[in-house]
Amino acid sequence: MTHCTMDDFVALRANEGSAWARTHLEGCDACRAELETLYQRIAQLRALPVRSPARDRWLAVREQVVVQRQRRRREWAGWSLAAAAGLAAILIFRPFAPGIASADELAQAQRASAQLESTLHQYGPDGRVESGSAASLAAQLEDQIAAVDGVINRLGRANGAVREDSVVAMWRQRVQLMRQLVEVRVTRASYVGL
Amino acid sequence: MDIALAVSDVVVARARSGDLEALEALYRAFETPVYNLARRILRNAEDAEDVLQETFLEVVKSIREYRGEGHLWGWVRRIASSKALMKIRRERLRVTEEFDDAASHGRPGTSVAANLDLERALDELSETGRAVVWLHDVEGYTHEEIAEMMNKTVSFSKSQLARSHARLRRLLDAAPEAT
Repeated sequence: MTHCTMDDFVALRANEGSAWARTHLEGCDACRAELETLYQRIAQLRALPVRSPARDRWLAVREQVVVQRQRRRREWAGWSLAAAAGLAAILIFRPFAPGIASADELAQAQRASAQLESTLHQYGPDGRVESGSAASLAAQLEDQIAAVDGVINRLGRANGAVREDSVVAMWRQRVQLMRQLVEVRVTRASYVGL
Repeated sequence: MDIALAVSDVVVARARSGDLEALEALYRAFETPVYNLARRILRNAEDAEDVLQETFLEVVKSIREYRGEGHLWGWVRRIASSKALMKIRRERLRVTEEFDDAASHGRPGTSVAANLDLERALDELSETGRAVVWLHDVEGYTHEEIAEMMNKTVSFSKSQLARSHARLRRLLDAAPEAT
């Protein structure tokens, strides 16, 4: 007589048993007992004693959080300063070579940026877990992108006062940073899971 | 393991704003269930503590992305499960026999010897099999969710579960009678 296998029992427990397994179970005491044993084993698993950590890890977590925050504040301050200096240089000295960058170049850089945003969204951080180093690098890049965005906005508000090639240059810088961010996120995403 | 953890919305809101005291309150609320989950999946207590730490660093980093959809414990547990599974992937776990975690405490009416046999049998499973059994049978994850977390197929999760139970059955049959 053929009896149920463990695959059958696990499926039966999940109400996914085959018609054969369900019929067999009705007439087989041994298999009913085996299924009951499976139920008991799972109940026993759920009743295993709860384990608590021997050491308090909160202080280590807190310390890392504080260090990360301090570092981010320093970096943010540095980038804000650099962005402000860059904007001032653009507005005052207009360091770029004469010649107006074409609207095509600007559109091209903006398209590339939008495409990278879309890719980034695909590998977005929602519900995802990443390593500390990847998170730190991504955070740095995001800060830099935010700083560049700030400059782009200011250039936009100074409409007519700046040359188009300055704007293109900032958009290109943004694309470059976005590419690095995508690389960090994509590499990390492909690493997640077994 | 049933978790009935209540964390007030105020604490969550404060944690989302980066308040360290609120973040510590979250840590205290979830410390034991996170550790227990990691410890049941991983063989080594030190690794489980590392997962606990990594989980809360992730919680601190991502709490602003938690939209309040579903129970907070479900969100934290998902992070902890992923961290534990990544640990299995990254490292070849050291085989140890540690049944003496500092703060273990049994439940009334449960045979210590029977628990010990089951714990020993669990330790005999492969890392993946053990993780699938725990995530499915105890934590209540579906095969689809486990497959997604492990980056494997649903069939893989199902076959791991059946194979692991067959092995547990044999191991427990072979174990001395519990008293």
